[in-house]
Amino acid sequence: MKIESSGFRGRIDWGLIAAWAGLVAIGTVAILSTASPLPHYGQIIQRHFLAVGVGTLLFMLALGFNYQVFQDQSKVLYAVAILSLVAVLVLGQVQRGTKGWIRLPFFSFQPAELARILTTLSLAAFLDRRAQRSGTVGFVAGGFALTLPILALIMLQPDFSSTLTFFPMIIGMLYCAGAPLAPIGAMALYGGVALGLPLVWTLIQLHPGWAAASSLLDGFLRLREMGGPFIVAVVAIFALAWLAWRLSLQLRVTLPPPLFAVGALILVAGLASGAVVDRQLKDYQRARFVAFLLPAADPRGASYNVQQAQIAIGSGGLWGKGVFSGTQSKLGFLPERHTDFIFAAVGEEMGFIGTTAVVALYMLLLYRMVDTARQARDRYGFLVCCGLASILGFHLLVNVGMCLGFVPVAGIPLPLLSYGGSNLAMTLFALGIVGNIYSRRYAFY
Amino acid sequence: MSRTARSVERLDGLWVGVMAAVALMGVRLLHMQVVRHAYYAEVAERQRTQVIAQAAPRGRVYDRNGELVATNQPAFSLIYLPGKSQDPSRLVGLANSLARELHRDRDELLELLREAVHEESAIHLAENLPLKTMFKLSELKTLYPGVDLIVEARRSYPNGAFAGHLLGYMGKMDRRAWRRLKDKGYRVDSWVGRAGVESRYEDVLRGVDGEIRMEVDAQGRLRRRLDEVPWQAGGNIYLTIDARIQKAVEEALRASPSGEGAAVVLDPRSGEVLALASVPDFDPNMLLLPQWDEAKKAVGSLPEFNRALQGTYAPGSTFKVVMDAMLLEERKAALGDRVFCPGYLSVGNRVFKCWEKKGHKSMDFMAGLANSCDVYFYTMGLRAGGALIERYSKLFGLGRKTGIDLPGERSGNIFGPEARKARKRGWYEGDTANLSIGQGELLTTPIQMAVVAASIANKGTLWKPRYIKRLERRGERNAEDPASEPAGRIALRPEVWDLVREAMVAVVRTGTGQRVNIHEVVVGGKTGTAQNPLGGDHAWFIAWAGRPDEEPSVALAVLIQHGGHGSSAAGPVARKAIEAAFDLASAKGAAPAGAPPAAVIDELPPETLPDPHPAVPAPRAPAPAAKPGARTAPQPKPAAPEQGADLYSEDEL
Repeated sequence: MKIESSGFRGRIDWGLIAAWAGLVAIGTVAILSTASPLPHYGQIIQRHFLAVGVGTLLFMLALGFNYQVFQDQSKVLYAVAILSLVAVLVLGQVQRGTKGWIRLPFFSFQPAELARILTTLSLAAFLDRRAQRSGTVGFVAGGFALTLPILALIMLQPDFSSTLTFFPMIIGMLYCAGAPLAPIGAMALYGGVALGLPLVWTLIQLHPGWAAASSLLDGFLRLREMGGPFIVAVVAIFALAWLAWRLSLQLRVTLPPPLFAVGALILVAGLASGAVVDRQLKDYQRARFVAFLLPAADPRGASYNVQQAQIAIGSGGLWGKGVFSGTQSKLGFLPERHTDFIFAAVGEEMGFIGTTAVVALYMLLLYRMVDTARQARDRYGFLVCCGLASILGFHLLVNVGMCLGFVPVAGIPLPLLSYGGSNLAMTLFALGIVGNIYSRRYAFY
Repeated sequence: MSRTARSVERLDGLWVGVMAAVALMGVRLLHMQVVRHAYYAEVAERQRTQVIAQAAPRGRVYDRNGELVATNQPAFSLIYLPGKSQDPSRLVGLANSLARELHRDRDELLELLREAVHEESAIHLAENLPLKTMFKLSELKTLYPGVDLIVEARRSYPNGAFAGHLLGYMGKMDRRAWRRLKDKGYRVDSWVGRAGVESRYEDVLRGVDGEIRMEVDAQGRLRRRLDEVPWQAGGNIYLTIDARIQKAVEEALRASPSGEGAAVVLDPRSGEVLALASVPDFDPNMLLLPQWDEAKKAVGSLPEFNRALQGTYAPGSTFKVVMDAMLLEERKAALGDRVFCPGYLSVGNRVFKCWEKKGHKSMDFMAGLANSCDVYFYTMGLRAGGALIERYSKLFGLGRKTGIDLPGERSGNIFGPEARKARKRGWYEGDTANLSIGQGELLTTPIQMAVVAASIANKGTLWKPRYIKRLERRGERNAEDPASEPAGRIALRPEVWDLVREAMVAVVRTGTGQRVNIHEVVVGGKTGTAQNPLGGDHAWFIAWAGRPDEEPSVALAVLIQHGGHGSSAAGPVARKAIEAAFDLASAKGAAPAGAPPAAVIDELPPETLPDPHPAVPAPRAPAPAAKPGARTAPQPKPAAPEQGADLYSEDEL
């Protein structure tokens, strides 16, 4: 293959590389600093640098061959994802109540991280194959159906946080693939009801007076017991849907009858799922809900983390307290300071300058991914970029939002900064694929 | 295979959404890190620092000759610093371990710990720890973050049970008392003077507690010392008390027949209190044990009752000196007026007995007092009348407080026609007879009688007794030497004073008070045996003494409750006091020779106390190089006096 120097320059996305290299550099400094009081400091640093090395190799590897291989071999990738998730259930190690790691000689590997990238690649291929039917409900349903087994396997670990990161990827790709909004909206409604109900229930539960004062609220609270009130609610939903349909006929508004049926079904399904989710919620997860709803309720409990993160960020000021000088992270007030809350540690030690740099580099990274998507030579590349950008964007918004108190604590790391070998390596691998798509944006070779 | 234009629009839409969200975050970051930075910085600073208060040494108390009677010694305290992210369930384990080491109630400790966690402030779990316990506890330090040992200054009374009623003792405050005092820098677990000088001069004696600012981690573990505010020791006080006299009096009182009584020794020239004792007494060191409440319980009902000021007794025959002064001044009796004593006197249809049943036969002025002949005084009292006697008893300060600056003083009770009238009751001849020998409803305190004795010795000055010789207030260059104030002046003809004094000398030389006859000095005294309808007689002895050809320099009153005869019960106490005051040979034999106990206790000046936080090897700025043995100081030495040994024995916790 003949490569001209000018062509070579055009093939490498230096902006992308600069963005991730900058983030990894800041992340490395922050990890070196924040992990220093920890007992396994040496091991952490060793693993981090191993992950940086492996990740850089994976990035170069992903740059090296045509990304269309992934499209051709999408079924193989899908199978690998399933197999790795089955393998972790069989061979995996339990850490913090989750069976999510496979132990290898030098490090532990988290197959869910790999599965997310592989699912993105195979889902893009699936959606691209059905491009002609992209306007149909089946297109959306198919996309969800494809990821369902993967999500189910991760739920078996059980790793609630990891499954959460699949949804922005799926929805982002479907949306960018031109899927109709109604089914996506229906899915969002379903998801909203399923996740929102436990939140509301928890809120009511926090105020025993409310339910005691109102039999309606009490009945609402008892929906989750799946008993009498639940059946009443289901009947009521269908009755209301039927009434609404009759009303629309009276008003001579022409709406298709299935709309009401589907709407009612979604509500019922959401209600049922919500009740299931509510039962499945672990105590610490419910505590996080509480902490988000009422931050001052329990300053030493779940909201402690968020408060300490905000104190860390705020006390950093404009210039920060200096690397290795953060009192919040050094003295252990800031929890998860080298993983989920690393952004707060950066805010404390490197100040507003540091946090701005991180956000700016992230925006550069996302911009490069969005730009690559625009220029991609085929729809597959476009979808892959959209999916990967959705994942990173979601992580950025949720993780930083969590540190700032906008979002409940969800246990979602900040890729490229947070300590976590599998995540770092797989993120760099994903960025390699984006770089690959960029380099092959013109179908000259 | 071409992508639709609509999809790129959707991607761009998402991109704009992300940018908007990130812009919002940027604003929030700017707000938190730049606008509200000061607030968050303060919160971060506050939670990483713990201020440990370090009790400052109280001012020392000396006697008039500079002998230490109250000082300080270094002691280890166990403190607990609640951590931000400590597991509350660990408190139970900690409480269990501490309860075992400190021999204290587990639930009580647990409550203390929980409160500390709730208040987020350091607390003292135990104070004055014995060395052995301290070593055991330092192991706990490694198991439980937040537990630490610091050195503090603790009150110590080198003489043990010595002038306890005058010095007072240290104690803890209850919550209400603390709320009143917290503005003055008191902590809820601060010690505070509870009685006597410790309480009355709390503001002089109290130092300013030091503060160590420590960096703590989220578990409450001390990481390093940030800085410290050194303590300031309290101001010193010199008492007018003479430790030798005080010791002699206390020993003699304890050896008295009933072991209950009081003695007040004054300098009649100035009204200064040379000794003030009340038995049974207490050792204020006992109340400094780690757990104050328990110590107080262990001591039982604290003999806080100060008989010298608070006990009121009929003066008995000691009142006869007041009678004598009245008789001469009012010319109711001439020296040669004789009264025949057959052993009783009939007044109306009642018979008043003389203490000497056989009778004193013929008595004149001098013999009347020397033999304390009751019939002589019945006769003379009836001649003078109750109103006059009442006036003179008031003139000598009876019936009102002497004004000594100590709480709880009682004024006693005046007995006479006027006092009766005030209560709308009549006065009879028999009452006059009773009053004439100091019986009936007349009640006096030992300190009042000491003032009476002093007024005779100094010919008419009624002093307001004073026990402070010098106050060295903290931060003030000049010491304060309070002056004496007379509470009144008894204007009698000079020859009356001379004659009363002469009569009192006769009491000691030839009369009832011969036990106090000391050859080296001139002693005048009067015995008293006050009949007590409720129990045994109270024994009194009042006296003054001076070197020959000098004005009297000592005046005293001794009361032995239920002691029996004034001569045999109270007399020896007065003798010991006078011997000690004039430094006579027999007094030297009585007091233990050798170094005073104060020198044996390892008492250190506050600046040489060991590093208050031994776990952190940062030395205090002024290196205590002068005393290399400072670190081992709190260790009780085998030669330590009894009190010290008791205080620090292992079983005493």
